[in-house]
Amino acid sequence: MIRLESVSKVFKGDVTALREASAEIQRGEFVFLVGPSGSGKSTFIRLLNREEVADSGRIMVAGKDLGSLSSWRVPYLRRNIGCIFQDYKLLSKKTVWENVAFGLEVIGRPRPVIKRQVTAILELVGLSRKADRIPDELSGGEQQRVSIARAFVNRPLILLADEPTGNLDPTTSVGIMRLLDRINRSGTTVVMATHDRGIVDTMRRRVIELDRGVIVRDESRGVYD
Amino acid sequence: MIYRIWYFIRETVVSLWRNLSLTLAAILTVGISLSLVGTSLLVREGADRATAQFQEGVEFIVFMNADHTPDQDAAIRQVLDTSPAISRYAYIDKLAAYEEFQVLFVDKPDLIESVTPDVMPPSYRIVPSDPDAANVAELARQFSTQPGVREVATATDAIRQIEDFSTRVSQVLLVAAVVLVAVSAMLILNTVFTAIGARREEIEVMKLVGATNWFVRIPFMLEGMIHGLIGAGLAIPSLFVVENEVLSFFQESDVVPLFRGFAVPDGFVWNTSLWLLLLGGVIGMLGSAIAVTRYLDV
Repeated sequence: MIRLESVSKVFKGDVTALREASAEIQRGEFVFLVGPSGSGKSTFIRLLNREEVADSGRIMVAGKDLGSLSSWRVPYLRRNIGCIFQDYKLLSKKTVWENVAFGLEVIGRPRPVIKRQVTAILELVGLSRKADRIPDELSGGEQQRVSIARAFVNRPLILLADEPTGNLDPTTSVGIMRLLDRINRSGTTVVMATHDRGIVDTMRRRVIELDRGVIVRDESRGVYD
Repeated sequence: MIYRIWYFIRETVVSLWRNLSLTLAAILTVGISLSLVGTSLLVREGADRATAQFQEGVEFIVFMNADHTPDQDAAIRQVLDTSPAISRYAYIDKLAAYEEFQVLFVDKPDLIESVTPDVMPPSYRIVPSDPDAANVAELARQFSTQPGVREVATATDAIRQIEDFSTRVSQVLLVAAVVLVAVSAMLILNTVFTAIGARREEIEVMKLVGATNWFVRIPFMLEGMIHGLIGAGLAIPSLFVVENEVLSFFQESDVVPLFRGFAVPDGFVWNTSLWLLLLGGVIGMLGSAIAVTRYLDV
């Protein structure tokens, strides 16, 4: 599903974000990216979503070589990739329903389909009864659920999560992880960058550890360190 | 497809409404610039046509009756040839007058059909030695009493008529100026950057979930197009104002000869208006397309 071959990325000012990184992630895997701040976790994720382009090496995502993917095809790649973030990136003036529907609307889905899919996904994340609320009226955990709903409503092959529990308390985080686990069990590949030792140690999934842009550890059923 | 069209319309309307003061500012800017474009087009056309009658210093025209006698004609020529007040003159016979008429009213075929060379009054185009208005008026008065003369048209007569029109238009302009002041106040009140910020978040999300660049662009381009079209709509009335402004310029100038028929035919004004609409739409669309492209590579 995802393959990195000797991928390097250097930002301006000679900041090396990723150096000769190689990894292969199979369909349906759940992978934690761990490492200190600035170790390249976010860059790893942004490369997979083609928000960044690698300086060297090859990245394959969902059968596409991102290096040779023309820019007009990028949106179609992203329709196969859901993304969630520490700060949720919800639109504050739209309701929960509208936020989730927005994700389908802007890729041109017909309204009856949107209605059906949004209803189903809000049921899945447990927010059916808060569909008319705006994000500010929700707790952090609920907002992250909306964000997950938006990312997953189109049933993407891959879900990329950049510190999704970074702003949440441990109890709420467990709820979010249960949800991500459930999504993973439906066959979606999940790649999650995190600082949360508790979550990594509890879930015991594959762990890829980065340190100053280098993959220093890659173990299945791993722990935080 | 219908859902997409509905989406574009909704987003465009919402955005226009949300950034109302910005919208108005954009529209006015477009309006003002297109007015200038239209002005230059009209001035050129007007000048082309006006010089057909009053050019090279012609200050007044003596129109003869279509059925004047050769004696009457000779008497006029006698005066023109001998008077020190007359610098030079040109005679326009019936056929030449008819040909000119056809050129001047090319957009009014009904009018052209209604006349024949027979009914066209022959005329003398006269350049006086002294182009002073009072002098011209006195000369015109003298000629108008001559037998066989139908009427004498001076450049200043035409100008006064258009001046009246100009006064009315300037009242309209005053109202427009009041609107402009109100709009400026709204501009100051608006939280411009908040509006842009809100939109930027939306674009980021759209890109994230895989909206195509065109999908992101189209509502903005429609919005820009509407700015342009409305702006052009505002510019169109100014086209009608232009003639007066230019005429008064010519009136005050001693260098440029006074024109009598500095009127651009209605057809040309409307034609120009259509071009301004097209130009406004394209400017608005391209401008917004370029602007939004800046935010597409999130």
